[in-house]
Amino acid sequence: MQDRLLPYWLLIPAFVIVLATTIYPLAYSFFTSFRAWDLTQSRRPEGFVGLENYVYAASEEQFLNSLWVTFIFVITSVFLTVVLAMALALLLRRKGPMHTFTRIVLILPFAMSPALIGVSYRFMFNPEFGVLAKGLGAVFPALEGVPWLADPQLAMGILVLTDVWHWTPYMTFMCLGGLASIPRETEEAARIDGASNLRIVFGIILPQMKGVIAVMAVLKTIFALKMFDQVVTLTGGGPGTSTETLAYFIFNVGFRWFDMGYASALAWILTAIMMVISIWYVRMLLSEKKMATA
Amino acid sequence: MAEVRLVDIEKKYGNFLAVPQQSLTIEDGEFLVLLGPSGCGKTTTMRMIAGLEDITAGDIMIKGERVNDKPPKDRDIAMVFQNYGLYPHMTVRQNIEYPLKLRGVAKADRRKRAEETAAKVELDALLERRPSELSGGQRQRVALARAIVRTPSIFLMDEPLSNLDAKLRVTMRAELKHLHHELGVTTVYVTHDQMEAMTLANRVAVMREGRIVQLDTPKKIYAEPADLFVAGFIGSPSMNLIDGTVSGGVFRAEGVDVPIDMPDREGVVLGIRPEELEIAPGGAAFTGKLYALELTGDSTLVTLRAGKTSVCARGHADFEADINTDCHLAPKDGARFHLFDRASGERLI
Amino acid sequence: MRKTLSYLGERALLVLVSVIVLFPIVWMFLTAFKQSRDAYSVSLNFKPTLQNFVTVFSDPWNLGSMVLNSVIVATVTVAIAVPCATLAAYSFSRFRVKARKFLFFLILSTQFIPAVVIVLPFFLMFRQLDMLDTRLALIIVNLAIVTPFVIWMIKGFIDAIPTDSEEAAMIDGASRLRVIKDIVLPVAAPGIMTSSIFCFILTWNEFLFALILSRRDAVTLPVGLVSFRTEQGDLWELMSAAGVMITVPIFIMALFIQKHFTRGMTAGAVK
Repeated sequence: MQDRLLPYWLLIPAFVIVLATTIYPLAYSFFTSFRAWDLTQSRRPEGFVGLENYVYAASEEQFLNSLWVTFIFVITSVFLTVVLAMALALLLRRKGPMHTFTRIVLILPFAMSPALIGVSYRFMFNPEFGVLAKGLGAVFPALEGVPWLADPQLAMGILVLTDVWHWTPYMTFMCLGGLASIPRETEEAARIDGASNLRIVFGIILPQMKGVIAVMAVLKTIFALKMFDQVVTLTGGGPGTSTETLAYFIFNVGFRWFDMGYASALAWILTAIMMVISIWYVRMLLSEKKMATA
Repeated sequence: MAEVRLVDIEKKYGNFLAVPQQSLTIEDGEFLVLLGPSGCGKTTTMRMIAGLEDITAGDIMIKGERVNDKPPKDRDIAMVFQNYGLYPHMTVRQNIEYPLKLRGVAKADRRKRAEETAAKVELDALLERRPSELSGGQRQRVALARAIVRTPSIFLMDEPLSNLDAKLRVTMRAELKHLHHELGVTTVYVTHDQMEAMTLANRVAVMREGRIVQLDTPKKIYAEPADLFVAGFIGSPSMNLIDGTVSGGVFRAEGVDVPIDMPDREGVVLGIRPEELEIAPGGAAFTGKLYALELTGDSTLVTLRAGKTSVCARGHADFEADINTDCHLAPKDGARFHLFDRASGERLI
Repeated sequence: MRKTLSYLGERALLVLVSVIVLFPIVWMFLTAFKQSRDAYSVSLNFKPTLQNFVTVFSDPWNLGSMVLNSVIVATVTVAIAVPCATLAAYSFSRFRVKARKFLFFLILSTQFIPAVVIVLPFFLMFRQLDMLDTRLALIIVNLAIVTPFVIWMIKGFIDAIPTDSEEAAMIDGASRLRVIKDIVLPVAAPGIMTSSIFCFILTWNEFLFALILSRRDAVTLPVGLVSFRTEQGDLWELMSAAGVMITVPIFIMALFIQKHFTRGMTAGAVK
């Protein structure tokens, strides 16, 4: 009898942790999101305000701006990461000393602290003494003296760059995993039938990678939606509010202005977006699995 | 008395009925083989005996005691798995000693018994190796040694030879048979290979779609298959099964004329083993064009065809003829004809 | 001829990729060994010095205490998360428990809850309990991020182990717990080790929680970086030295588990 309950006993410690550290705060901020609570005024939540925090968000310019910034960031970084990762994986598929070396090198960016990545790119793009700013200026005279991080578009570009630099290696390994599971025979058969390299990539390999690519794209979207660390250390949300992502904006509302009620409501909006995407993602994983076992 | 009784057992996975209600008694010291194609429920049945799978209904009795709710460790059984199930992180010695260790046998005694057992299966030189450093046959021996080291009252073997190459399979088969003779332990053995079943078993239970369709000695199953399925499954090359009709005391099909003592009937299948046919000069029971000749070494398989009918015979090794020439086959003296009902598969004679 | 050309092209591209990946890291390492006047030029002609490391470890930066905080927070988080996650992963992998799909789904989805959402209530709670700026507070919130991730990852590793040996052990006389101890843990050890290192890296690099929940006593390395932004401007050479301190242990770990790394990274995600 004891043996029958064992599966549940094994689950308990982990579930206690998960419930206490995620479900509880989630519930707490849900209730806070319906209240007014200025932390500088009161230690406890004040009155119940219904949906006011949410209604306010719908018309607040800064929130809408951060939503837009996040949208732009997610679209560009997901697109670039997935495409580059796929290309890199195709490049790394074969064996060779340079291939092995590159694979090892690729492990490094993912192990690096995102905050540190932000710091070092900020350093390299410093217009006065940054090595990339100087280097690019020397190679392309038109870029001489460009105020990289002081320009809204360029700052966003560099923010995307740091993220792509950080994530492409991880995604490349996912692609390599996917490529390894494609049976060699299909490719060899196509080669014998006389297909060109390009044709093989687009006609044979990519269609079989559809599942992996979709999983990558959704996963990357989820991570991009959370973008925070580099915003703090690279741009500070600026210039102006041009790189103020949703996570960074919520941080500001909560921990600079201490408006807990509003911050909670915003956090729940972000959670809702993420939940929709992750449910979609998990569904996809499960059906992938079904396909794999079928 | 290590007798195993399955009483009205049944296994369902959700709504899928894997093993329908049935009973089976495995006698003390018996070597019983569960034989059938893959997915027929034989492994499920064995895993229920082992306690690795719950039973949905019924009782499992080992040595007269109901063991339904007992975990595998308390059933006094040993099992050899298809993929051996060795402990990859332990040496051969540790693998063999592990069951003794779990039963609290003292270290010195454990060592001695492990070495004795290893010697029995010729593993003495490999005791300090890891499973990954062994060949398939050697791994098989480790699995075997681990099973016999603690002299359980029942052995369960799940396709133990299926991962070995053909030659090794024959050698190991003989060793298993010898081992059973020596130890006399009740053994349940699962296989899809009818040759293994025939050579090893005291009794064979042929299973199909979860159900035991025939339970008998190998001899009896070979000589008198209970239905069309068993007839086709046992024997290599398999029994000739010819669709036809009986009228006026004669079984007729294209190219076939065999006198049969039986009332007129449609939808009949005639069965005769290739070993019981021989090449005849002409006007014989089976007439057709020679379709293929396959030399197997000690004999030649002769296949002739007439329309939809195809008949195979085991002929002399030096028989030669041209393909597509006329050919005749006749039953040998004392040959046995089997008759089955096409629709139900049931045996008629 | 065409073949060698395309092969050379492939190698050239790989060199380019390696350069792009390595350059920021190499530049940071170089800067860490520059004197402060050299740090503000792009010249490679400089006299290397260890002065920056001496500076960051002394007053007022005291990187030593941040290293200690990071080590303690990451180690304790791993020490709590990994054992609990291993048991849960085993249960998910081997048993058909009731509502298993729902529970697993729950675990998976919590992984995607934005960290800001989690930290907000915890900030309030820790403030109430006077636990702000303590390592314990950081450990608790880090568990939120790490635990679901590790469960998922270790489950991937356990799923890949055939059940044969475990069943053999049960028949040989072992109870389930004994099976876990004698068979599963040793066989899954490389996977569990890999997951632990992953978990360590995640916690070590964690920025948001530490930024919000620590002020002075519990500051970890990534947050420490921000303190090199002073009123006199950014002190790049010191930041780089601190960056080297953050990076080196993690790089060593990552390269140490290199073989499993790629599998581990994708185990949770694709499987």
